Amino acid sequence: MGTRENRFQPGKSHINRMTTAGVQTGNTGGIESPSHDRLVYITTCFIGHQVEVQVLDGSLFTGIFHATNAEKDFGIILKMARVTKAGSSRGQKNISDSVQKPPSKTLIIPGKELVQIVAKGVPVTRDGLMNDFQNDQLHDIMIDSSISHSRHVDLERELEPWVPDDDNPECPELDNTFVRHWNRGWDQFEANATLFGVKSTFNEELYTTKLDRGPQMRELEKEALRLAREIEGEDTQDLHLAEERGIHLHDKFDVDEETKYSSVYRGVDDSGYDENEDILDPQNCQTYGDVSDSLPNNGSQITSRFSTVGEVQSTHFSTSNDFHPSGALDDPSIIENNQTNQQLAGSNYTKQDTEKHMVYEQNHTSKSEESSFLPNKESTDTGLSATATAFAPTNVSSKAQEKTRSNEVSSTSESGNAAPTAASGPGLSPSSSMGSLTSEKSTLNPHAKEFRLNPNAKSFVPSSPLRAASPVSDASFYYPANVAPAPQMHGMPVGIGMGPAFPSHQPVIFGPQGTPLHSPQTYFHSNGPQYGQQMLLSQPRQVVYMPTYPPEMPYKGRDF
Amino acid sequence: MDGISGGDDFAVGCVLTIKTTFGNEFEGQIITYDRPSNILVFQEGLKSNPQSRRNIRLLKANYIKEFSFLGQSEDPLDLKNCYLDLNSLQSKEDAAVRKAEIDVERIGVGVTAEAQSIFDALSKTLPVRWDKTVIVVMNEVRVSSPYLAESVTGGIPAANERVRKVLELERRRLQTRGGGQ
Repeated sequence: MGTRENRFQPGKSHINRMTTAGVQTGNTGGIESPSHDRLVYITTCFIGHQVEVQVLDGSLFTGIFHATNAEKDFGIILKMARVTKAGSSRGQKNISDSVQKPPSKTLIIPGKELVQIVAKGVPVTRDGLMNDFQNDQLHDIMIDSSISHSRHVDLERELEPWVPDDDNPECPELDNTFVRHWNRGWDQFEANATLFGVKSTFNEELYTTKLDRGPQMRELEKEALRLAREIEGEDTQDLHLAEERGIHLHDKFDVDEETKYSSVYRGVDDSGYDENEDILDPQNCQTYGDVSDSLPNNGSQITSRFSTVGEVQSTHFSTSNDFHPSGALDDPSIIENNQTNQQLAGSNYTKQDTEKHMVYEQNHTSKSEESSFLPNKESTDTGLSATATAFAPTNVSSKAQEKTRSNEVSSTSESGNAAPTAASGPGLSPSSSMGSLTSEKSTLNPHAKEFRLNPNAKSFVPSSPLRAASPVSDASFYYPANVAPAPQMHGMPVGIGMGPAFPSHQPVIFGPQGTPLHSPQTYFHSNGPQYGQQMLLSQPRQVVYMPTYPPEMPYKGRDF
Repeated sequence: MDGISGGDDFAVGCVLTIKTTFGNEFEGQIITYDRPSNILVFQEGLKSNPQSRRNIRLLKANYIKEFSFLGQSEDPLDLKNCYLDLNSLQSKEDAAVRKAEIDVERIGVGVTAEAQSIFDALSKTLPVRWDKTVIVVMNEVRVSSPYLAESVTGGIPAANERVRKVLELERRRLQTRGGGQ
């Protein structure tokens, strides 16, 4: 039992008694009664806390609780106290007058004046006290809001949505951007010149492949437009695409602006590969539609891939002579046998257009034809024998497709094929379909159009003796042992250092008469083995040269 | 208004509604009653979690005008969890006092609320202090009542100009905000 003290001080004696939770003998309500202890405990918890004290005349004082003499009359000492509400004895004053006087450093309220003490948010438990302490420590870190004293000027404004000023007649309505057709006749350069006198030096060809505006342009353009319309008219679940195309998705639901225009990914996004996958077939239709429309769906991945590639390739072939026919293609059993195909392909290097045409016509109607397309194609294209086809088929074919597409791009114009009449298929913009072929489509395109040879296609005659260029370097090449692939870069004139040989179906594109325009660039396809370079030359002549591969060319590939 | 005798009647944990002689009404749960001082300790509000801070009210029992018994609940104080750390309490008090002193500096004595809000607005970006009823900015520029652009005096022209501009901006902002309310 500690000494009685007039002033309440954090007497350890009392506290000790509290912490030991000892119950005092006698419950007469004496000073040492548990009730009293509780009172002392609670008031001790008040120390440092902001409290509001009401006194006899009704005034309210707010300040930091400092002490009380709990032993006596329970007077209160507050620090930094000020009057928040004046009682009747002082007359009615409003709160703003409270700032008339600075707060008292120390305010003593006698016990008999005390009516009540109110403290909000007092931690009374051990954990609460600890938390409080920690929080207080944190407050020493100046947070921005306390630095800016924003609590003093925290009036908020009612936010209103933005409404544009009177519409400037010169500026096209923002809302109408998607309403009008894309080619609404707006020429930005023209507008700029008239409005601001700025002369444009824009040359489209600096940024994209030069279009060949020759006599065949019209048809290519038509085809491209048709494809574009088809794509743009496609149904989609993607909100943004739908809005562009004027499809009203979720019309009945109230779709708010955030859903419509935010870029935050909130749900299933079908604008990725899903769409590409969907597109793949339609693209096939279009791209390859004209090429071969009688491709049966054999469900075999390999063959289907090959067939599609074959179709594409065939379009090129229409312009070149070096289609090589595969005499043995008539045999359906070849489908599953790559090796055989390769052999056949390898052995079927011919240079006669007619032969090729014939072979292709034959090949059209059977699976084996398709499967042989690829080997044929690739070998003719690149000088590699059909071993190229023996790679992981999907990769190969996808690469093939991509490459062919890019080839098409480079070789033809963006809008289409060099031989539109024969194969109006690949008018597809290459970029859209690139890289989307990783999906394993195991079905042949039932809508693919038949390949039609274009007899008017220019046939390539190499101007210099064929010479094997650098050996096949790509490690990913897989050559069946007994294949004799023709080295790539046949027909490349001397002087062009083509490092890695073309792995497959990369038509080497030359300028007229075999003059290469510039070194090929390397294109590394991320998901497949690296096939070496991909020619992306764009020529005024949209001709693809298929080098002829004399069978006697020595095999320069690597032996694996 | 007689003191309620028989303090033992006030069992701990009782929930009562109290009306004081000053007209306050509140409802709370008894934590304790101390007879010598005649003080009732109430806990108000619901206990959302055991560690939550509580609203405590100490009331001298002789100011209870009327009360009604609502129910009996358990002891709001968990005796096992009672703990006092005097050091932390002391530092809490020191910190509070410090903060209050800082706040005091910010509040002008004998100034209107408008002046105070102007002071607060200026203090967001400029160092300001009160000198009686004059706002002293950057220790050189003085803004006296009525705290208009014309009332800005002192300091080098650049500083004076700056204070003037800020003052006008803040006034405008206060006006729109005040109007928007």
